[in-house]
Amino acid sequence: MSSQIIRALLLALLSAVIALPVGYFVAHWAGWTVVCIGLGLQMVFHFRNFARLDRWSHRPVVDASLEGEGAWDGIFGRLYRHEKDLREQIAQRDQEIGMLIAAGQALTDGVVLLDAHNQILFCNTMAESQLGLVIRTDRGQPVVNLVRQPEFVAYLEGSDYSRPLTMRSERRDDRVFSVHVIPYAGDRRLMQVKDVTQTDRLDQMRRDFVANVSHELRTPLTVLAGFLETLQEIEVDRDEQQRYLQMMADQSKRMQSIVQDLLTLSSIESAPPPDNEPVDMVNLLDKLRRDAEALSAGRHTIVVESDGHADLRGSEPELVSAFGNLVANAVRYTPAGGTVTLSWKATTQGAEFAVQDTGIGIDAKHIPRLTERFYRVDRGRSRDVGGTGLGLAIVKHSLNRHQAQLDIKSTPGVGSRFAAKFPANRVAGLH
Amino acid sequence: MNESQHLSSQFDEELSRLRTHVLQMGGLVETQVSAAIEAYSTGEVASVKTIVETDRKVNDLEKAIDDDCAHIIAKRQPTASDLRLILGISKIVTDLERAGDEAKKIAKGVRRIYENGHLPGQYGVGIRHLAEAALVMIRRALDAFARLDTPQAADVIKADTDVDAEFKSIIRQLITHMMEDPRTITTSIDIIWIARAIERIGDHAKNISEQVVYVVEGRDIRHTKEKAQ
Repeated sequence: MSSQIIRALLLALLSAVIALPVGYFVAHWAGWTVVCIGLGLQMVFHFRNFARLDRWSHRPVVDASLEGEGAWDGIFGRLYRHEKDLREQIAQRDQEIGMLIAAGQALTDGVVLLDAHNQILFCNTMAESQLGLVIRTDRGQPVVNLVRQPEFVAYLEGSDYSRPLTMRSERRDDRVFSVHVIPYAGDRRLMQVKDVTQTDRLDQMRRDFVANVSHELRTPLTVLAGFLETLQEIEVDRDEQQRYLQMMADQSKRMQSIVQDLLTLSSIESAPPPDNEPVDMVNLLDKLRRDAEALSAGRHTIVVESDGHADLRGSEPELVSAFGNLVANAVRYTPAGGTVTLSWKATTQGAEFAVQDTGIGIDAKHIPRLTERFYRVDRGRSRDVGGTGLGLAIVKHSLNRHQAQLDIKSTPGVGSRFAAKFPANRVAGLH
Repeated sequence: MNESQHLSSQFDEELSRLRTHVLQMGGLVETQVSAAIEAYSTGEVASVKTIVETDRKVNDLEKAIDDDCAHIIAKRQPTASDLRLILGISKIVTDLERAGDEAKKIAKGVRRIYENGHLPGQYGVGIRHLAEAALVMIRRALDAFARLDTPQAADVIKADTDVDAEFKSIIRQLITHMMEDPRTITTSIDIIWIARAIERIGDHAKNISEQVVYVVEGRDIRHTKEKAQ
């Protein structure tokens, strides 16, 4: 810096030195003019650089255009470097923020960031789809304006965030979310939204199962107890007594079959993988047909369609019970005069055993839940026809153990088709 | 300068709080409507009591919001879009309160049907569909109000025609059933009341959307053929 001052002084001195002889030999005014011109040139030089800096400071760009002359060059250089460093830092921060946002987007849970007034600052795409938000337009909107469920509003406005809130989604059918508000950075809040539909459904199934088992066993037990009490306290004639005993026997048989089915289910669940022995399908189909005819007692037409040149590999008792259940259901739920068709088809891609009936059919909304234990489309009716409510659960388990899928198609009033689809490695003796 | 800026930001806050209150009232009505539909399909009449209780909360909110509106008009003398917002809100809450009343009617109708030992049975699907359409309309009307989104509001207004058409077809179907079997008349009449209430909920959603258009654009599109853009 001081060298710059010395340089400026030297230049002034230089013009004075030139001016002195001119003023002495020519005229006073000429000497002064030379001094003025010298100083003026210096000023023009500085002013040009100053104008350049002024122009640049309005719109600082980082390219090579910022070059000064003389004393200005150092200043311009430092400014230029400072600006460039800043820009690099900003770019790096931008990149880091971008990475953080990308990480937020990658989360499988929904995340919403709220400010002190519960206004939305950020949310990831998962939260957008879960809660019906659109971050492009909803930034700054109080979150309760869009997620309006009263239980959520009460949770957010309360102060106890120690537990998450479980709520049913209004926007997405039958989804259950667990929402947890976590305060951070003073008065900001982070909302974590988890989809717990699956867990919720499992919980529901477990509760239903216990309730159902108790209910299913209690009903016949009540009947038994009622008749026992009657027999103990009231004299009844012999015929009446016989009738009561018959009903009691029916009920105890019913309880037995429920317990039997439950045991079957649990033994299937815990048993080792099924055998790989070929099962003679011609025999099996014949047996199924005879059972169906016995159960139907001539009220239905039983048809067997088989391309008859392949067998299944698996455990015969399990397959018999699974297929038997499907056939028995078809007979039970088909009104007299209907047709039940058993079909067996095998190709190199796999095999399919199907039972098609012309029965009452099943409403589409029940189909996904049919294989749940004790799930009943119509409680009264299925008990009348003698089901335990466990048949299809057993079928599904047995088939799963044979890597087979149960495919159910049904139209109410027209009929149903239950098909067990086996993979190719379960097919034996295909020619 | 500083003073008036301070005042206006306080005013903005009051308006924003008012809007949030309206939407919370809307949230209550949404739950009422969906609980009423749920009760209709499952026959769980226990929720009817909750629906009736919620209605009391909705009524209280309506009164409180109306008070706030009067208060803001008196104190702030708002103009232009702020005034339209407040006028719109005072109409929207009326519609919301009535939609809540209709939900209560549905719930009571459901209780009557099930307590008489009848099942809505075969009409179940149609009514459920109608009710879901009305519920979506209410939800989208409230979303449109929250976001001041006129295209969305216009969609809701259009959807009302479908709900009306569906309502008429359910009524025709019920008339046929009643003529075929007079024993179904009691249940059918209850179902007609329910369908009517659902159709009214759709109408209220439409009114709310019209108010949204008014608030945003200053055009009154009620009772006109003019379409919201």
